[in-house]
Amino acid sequence: MDTTRRLWTGLGLLLAVAFAVLLAMGRELYLKAPPMPERVVSSSGQVLYTRADIELGRRVWQSIGGQQLGSIWGHGALIAPDWSADWLHREAVALLEIWSQRDFGTDYAHLSPAQQANLEAQLRSELRRNQYRGADGTIEVSADRAQAMSVVAAHYEDLFSADPALKALRVTYAMRDGTVDTAEHRHAMTGFFFWTAWSAVTERPGGAQSYTSNWPYDPLVGNTPTASTFIWTVFSVLFMIAGIGLLAWHYAAYHRKELPVTPPASDPLIGLKLTPSMQATAKYFWIVLALFLTQILLGAITAHYQVERDFYGFAISQFLPYSLTRTWHTELAVLWIATAWLGTGLYIAPAISGHEPKFQRLGVNFLFVCLLVIVVGAFAGQWAAVMQKLGLKYNFWFGHQGWEYTDLGRFWQLFLFVGLLIWLTLVGRALWPALRRKDDMASIVGLMFLSTIAIGLLYGAGLMWGENSHLSVVEYWRWWVVHLWVEGFFEVFAVAVISFIFVKLGLVRASSATANVLFATVVFMAGGVLGTFHHLYWAGTPTSVLALGASFSALEVVPLALIGLEAHETWSHSRATPWMERYRWPVMFFLAVSFWNLVGAGLFGFLINTPMALYYMQGLNLTPLHGHTALFGVYGMLGIGLMLFCLRGLRPALVWNQDLLRSSFWALNIGLSLMALLALLPMGVLQLQAALEHGYWYARSADFMGRDIMHLLVWMRVPGDTIFAIGALVLSWFVLRLWVRRAE
Amino acid sequence: MVEYYLQIRFAHVLLVCCSGALFATRGLLAIAGISWANMSALRWLSYTIDTCLLTAALMLVTILHQYPFVQPWLTTKVLLLAVYIVLGAYALRRARTRPARIAAYVAALLVFLFIASVAWQHDSRGILALLVTSAPG
Repeated sequence: MDTTRRLWTGLGLLLAVAFAVLLAMGRELYLKAPPMPERVVSSSGQVLYTRADIELGRRVWQSIGGQQLGSIWGHGALIAPDWSADWLHREAVALLEIWSQRDFGTDYAHLSPAQQANLEAQLRSELRRNQYRGADGTIEVSADRAQAMSVVAAHYEDLFSADPALKALRVTYAMRDGTVDTAEHRHAMTGFFFWTAWSAVTERPGGAQSYTSNWPYDPLVGNTPTASTFIWTVFSVLFMIAGIGLLAWHYAAYHRKELPVTPPASDPLIGLKLTPSMQATAKYFWIVLALFLTQILLGAITAHYQVERDFYGFAISQFLPYSLTRTWHTELAVLWIATAWLGTGLYIAPAISGHEPKFQRLGVNFLFVCLLVIVVGAFAGQWAAVMQKLGLKYNFWFGHQGWEYTDLGRFWQLFLFVGLLIWLTLVGRALWPALRRKDDMASIVGLMFLSTIAIGLLYGAGLMWGENSHLSVVEYWRWWVVHLWVEGFFEVFAVAVISFIFVKLGLVRASSATANVLFATVVFMAGGVLGTFHHLYWAGTPTSVLALGASFSALEVVPLALIGLEAHETWSHSRATPWMERYRWPVMFFLAVSFWNLVGAGLFGFLINTPMALYYMQGLNLTPLHGHTALFGVYGMLGIGLMLFCLRGLRPALVWNQDLLRSSFWALNIGLSLMALLALLPMGVLQLQAALEHGYWYARSADFMGRDIMHLLVWMRVPGDTIFAIGALVLSWFVLRLWVRRAE
Repeated sequence: MVEYYLQIRFAHVLLVCCSGALFATRGLLAIAGISWANMSALRWLSYTIDTCLLTAALMLVTILHQYPFVQPWLTTKVLLLAVYIVLGAYALRRARTRPARIAAYVAALLVFLFIASVAWQHDSRGILALLVTSAPG
């Protein structure tokens, strides 16, 4: 068996086993998720909430943006509290006050330390005891606790209304007045918040930890890290070090330096014949830039809501509230990057095979129109939902699902899925002759096509949940889409497409590129598939999820630790021959991909990766630190690099303005670095300290986030964001000039 | 943030002085035909100062709740800033002849000083407001 066949077999086996385990653990998660009660009653028999209330409340929460305003179990937005942690702490404090007044006739704060300790012990016993009766699906709480719950519920009902007394808090939380339109909906939503908090503190039957493995950290209620959290943190670090050692040995033993390839005398792609469908992809790249610029503007507004309700005198928060700008900001990030990749796939497929299938141009244009309809339609639905104009009846299908990165209404999700299948079909039919050729390029073309199939099909996992599916189940499938895209098949696509480009340019032998790409895919997938579980440590999952997630996600860092080797190789290719100057800036962006893979994905990713770290850091500013530097740093830079490569082919005769590209490249990289180092990292570290000292709820609270130092650090985003935005504008200007100049 | 108002205002004024001084120096170098005017270190220094200046300005706007296109004097500042940037670009790089460069340089400095006077007076008429108010009768 030759090396390529061995690697294909290994990859096939690895994927089969990994996905089998992923599915098996999914079954465990279904069985061990926190129970959804039929009713919540007080010991006096009063029904506090029914299952219908809790489910209605969740739909209401989803309609206002769900995870795009505050978070639940740590998943969601940074502004506004984590509603589970906030409810839990407020309920605990209210209960202590009730007991203090009843037993001692004074405020809890005025009690002696011994009296306080006594009540706190009573509190932990009260809250942590599992009062769920499986037989009739009832959670029974004491009368005192029911009273405390009503205090907290009243606070939330006022907060989500237009009550002037809580206006200041709404400003801090970037909420518009009347966030939820009716009193019935506001009350139902408190039922959902209660249930998430109940799951976070109630101990599993026969266990000494809560359904969320004691997340969030709140010593007052006895939520502290479990033994498993610590143990699997330590082992995951060991696995990572072992993995790095093993990979370094493998490189030393098997990746010997090959004899250098003699590059062709001239650019082999210069005579590339542009087919009509390839020419039709130009508009994909124009729309990429339009979406990118819009995303930046929405990001600026979203960040600004942390310090001011309006945007420099423009009263926009009442019709463009935070949850909406953040929704669009995060969705556009995925959409413009995906559009760049879709355009690249459609451009590159006929270029590889030299074959233009019938009606390919029509298909490319049709898909483009579909994508525009999806973006406009889905965004309009989300606006109507958040403004409470759509009604709950249509929200799930046409409004806002509230799940970060998979927020589109179900109809638009289905439409996008169909769009991705159309894309696969268009790429596949154009590639087909090349896939059948069985030459030395077949494997690398096959792998690239495999990653595009996986990217397309995995979006289908986003269709696996229904309107009332269990929260843990939704999270499980949501991360199939998000994680397996960005930490799985996106990585494969990135490696495959960059290698493929170098092969086509005649700088790398197809055989060695194939082996390298296959090997890299095996290494990425070894950690990538089961690493999905590192998003689910606290999502109502059993300890086995934590153990697998910690161990395998640590392995995701292994290939990133040695990415300098890949970067050096890429850099060497750029210097191999004088005509590579034509591709200087696409290659520079590919180098940036390697850099941010190490820093954004590797360092800042691992910072929040281990269970012990994430226990305190989930949903703090350290999460967007990783998010911005990895999502834009790696895939955004890749999207731009690929776009420039395609533009080189679409406009072959033009001399590029190097100054514009140089300015754009450095502005984007310096801007991103400043955004991370001046604002997100220090904010995250301060929040972490607050969480460690007082509990997670405090690090997300209005008290803490409203401190002057936090506002000052938000302002420290301006230098980086401004430089970044200038980079994007210069890039757009460069692309515009490619066409405008031609007209001249 | 209001507690930091004085410090931020001080930083803003200091950065305005730095920005103006740097432009004045680079402009003189450019007019003298010395290539240092556009050397990368000076350009990056200029970008850094101007970005920090913008940050401080946005902070002041938010603290004071006084916004361009609401307060006339701030609107004037923003519009004249655009004029200053264009004139500055001509003075440092775009002007093709020496007289044009000198004219752009002098005009840019005058606009810069007028913007400063608008900020000082909180009045769109800037220094002219003083002349009007001090005029007899």
